[in-house]
Amino acid sequence: MNGLQALLDGIMLGGIYGVIATGLSLVFGVLGVVNFAQAEFLMLGMYIAWFLWAWLGIDPLLAAVPTALIVFGVGFVIQRTLIERVLAAPPAAQIFLTVGLMMVLENGALLAFGSSFRSVNVPYQSEGFQLGSIFVGAPYLYAFLAAVLVSAALWLTLSKSWLGRAIRATAQDGMAAILMGVNIKQIYGLAFGLGVGLTALGGAVILPYITVSPTAGGQFVVLMFTVVVLGGLGNVAGALLGGLVVGVVQSLSAMVFPVQLQNLVLFLIFIAVLAFRPQGLLRES
Amino acid sequence: MKTLLRRHGLALLCAALAICLPLCMEDSDYAMRIATMALIFAAASQCWNLSGGLANQISLGHAAFFGIGAYTSTLLYIHLEVSPWLGLVAGGMLAAVAAAMLSVILSRLKGHYYALATLAFAEVLRVVANSWSSVTGGPIGLTIPFKGDAPLAFQFSSPAGYYWISLGLLALCSLVFHRLASGASGYRLRAIRENEVAAEVSGIDTFRLKLRLNVLSGALMAMCGTVYAQFIYFFDPDSIFSLSGISVKVAMMSIIGGLGTLPGPILGAFFLVPLEELSTSFFSDTAGLAQCVFGIVLIAAILIQPRGLMAVWGLRHRFMKGART
Repeated sequence: MNGLQALLDGIMLGGIYGVIATGLSLVFGVLGVVNFAQAEFLMLGMYIAWFLWAWLGIDPLLAAVPTALIVFGVGFVIQRTLIERVLAAPPAAQIFLTVGLMMVLENGALLAFGSSFRSVNVPYQSEGFQLGSIFVGAPYLYAFLAAVLVSAALWLTLSKSWLGRAIRATAQDGMAAILMGVNIKQIYGLAFGLGVGLTALGGAVILPYITVSPTAGGQFVVLMFTVVVLGGLGNVAGALLGGLVVGVVQSLSAMVFPVQLQNLVLFLIFIAVLAFRPQGLLRES
Repeated sequence: MKTLLRRHGLALLCAALAICLPLCMEDSDYAMRIATMALIFAAASQCWNLSGGLANQISLGHAAFFGIGAYTSTLLYIHLEVSPWLGLVAGGMLAAVAAAMLSVILSRLKGHYYALATLAFAEVLRVVANSWSSVTGGPIGLTIPFKGDAPLAFQFSSPAGYYWISLGLLALCSLVFHRLASGASGYRLRAIRENEVAAEVSGIDTFRLKLRLNVLSGALMAMCGTVYAQFIYFFDPDSIFSLSGISVKVAMMSIIGGLGTLPGPILGAFFLVPLEELSTSFFSDTAGLAQCVFGIVLIAAILIQPRGLMAVWGLRHRFMKGART
């Protein structure tokens, strides 16, 4: 495998990591809570998309939209009933509420769906595009394009719509937002729903090249946090960039290290960034 | 003596009962095993409570030290035939070094950031243990060679041996906790917990105090790991460095029992370990149920009584006192 190919593979993966992690960053940016259960919503999204494919024959790339809507609703309810109550509590309560949620979701999926691995069958699964010496698998390319599309839509929503402005205002200064007539409790719910919905959408579009099981979320936990911390917790644009960086680092390090050690490089970067630049690589200290 | 009895009467009674328990339960191996497991986890949770409860350093990576202890003693025993008793000390020392390094690197982090970094630390060790097969045995895990009745090799023919050792370990961890939570260091720690900046300004060396707590917490946690490994004879990287199986569990016991209190982790462990045992033995073929129940208990505890079982007990206690006078 040559360097250019690895770079391209990294970007394809990184785009998806960006979208998945954007949801996490959005939740932290607005609510100030690190959602340790975020990766479980990825798993949830994968299952919903899988069932939409298995029962109704919908392609996961299209199923991503209803999947995101369903998870958005689930997230909204969870925020209003559970997370809302610890927003003013010490970090320990917030951390362990979402950790509890993580345990319930992961093991609830194990109880409901069993431990078997499920995957989808789509016509373009083994297709690809050859460009000189470089090859791109169709599922990877489509997932990446979906990620780009979603990122653009998110950027438009956050910067142009009233809702986006209200979300940003709440993130910057909750009290000022209230004074401007924003119902911030509603915004907290919507932001949480939007955050987990985005992550679930990311789970749906990668379904053509990945299998889903109750532990699918667990594989992404540290990866997601690395992406978010690289970009700066709460920084949505940073998360997209962080995603690309992590994707490229992962695929380039695969050329040097054995597969098992691939994530080790990421974890070490993660700890180093947390220790030396906890505000992320982009922001001024 | 009289004041000692009045102030610590209940604790002394519990200790006396705990020491005598194996004498009347000798014929029930199963109950002894559950009690021993609860003691090991109570001790581990007390270690977490040292840094998490006293200094507000919410760690999600205490499995790292647990695993260091288990791997150090077991590898020394398998490869060099060093007695696990020495391995216990070696593991503790290695974990102390690791905890000191981690504490220095992460000294500026608080709250969510600290939790994330410690989580990643345990994950790093899990990946290393999984991939460095030539030394750690890789994903297959390690089995401790069975010797039967060999107290010098940390193996006992009856469960009571492990029980008393675990009880001693819990006593040690609780003693360390008590020493740090009372007196001058207790005041300093409470100041840090309330407001770290204010504590720093008042002349408390928060860096050194946290370093001391983390080193003690890590070293004792590693000893718990060694005892755990000797008790169950087998472990693998994914179970010993597990986030939900170890790191979250030990934190959860402190929280459910009462964060930052001495009896908290003990109450929590003696509530959760039997609960897990019950749900796995009643619904043996339903994987995930115990963990799911744990998650619900954790969420409920935080929403209903964030100060844990201790607070519930404390309320009753105060009520009874009021009735007496």
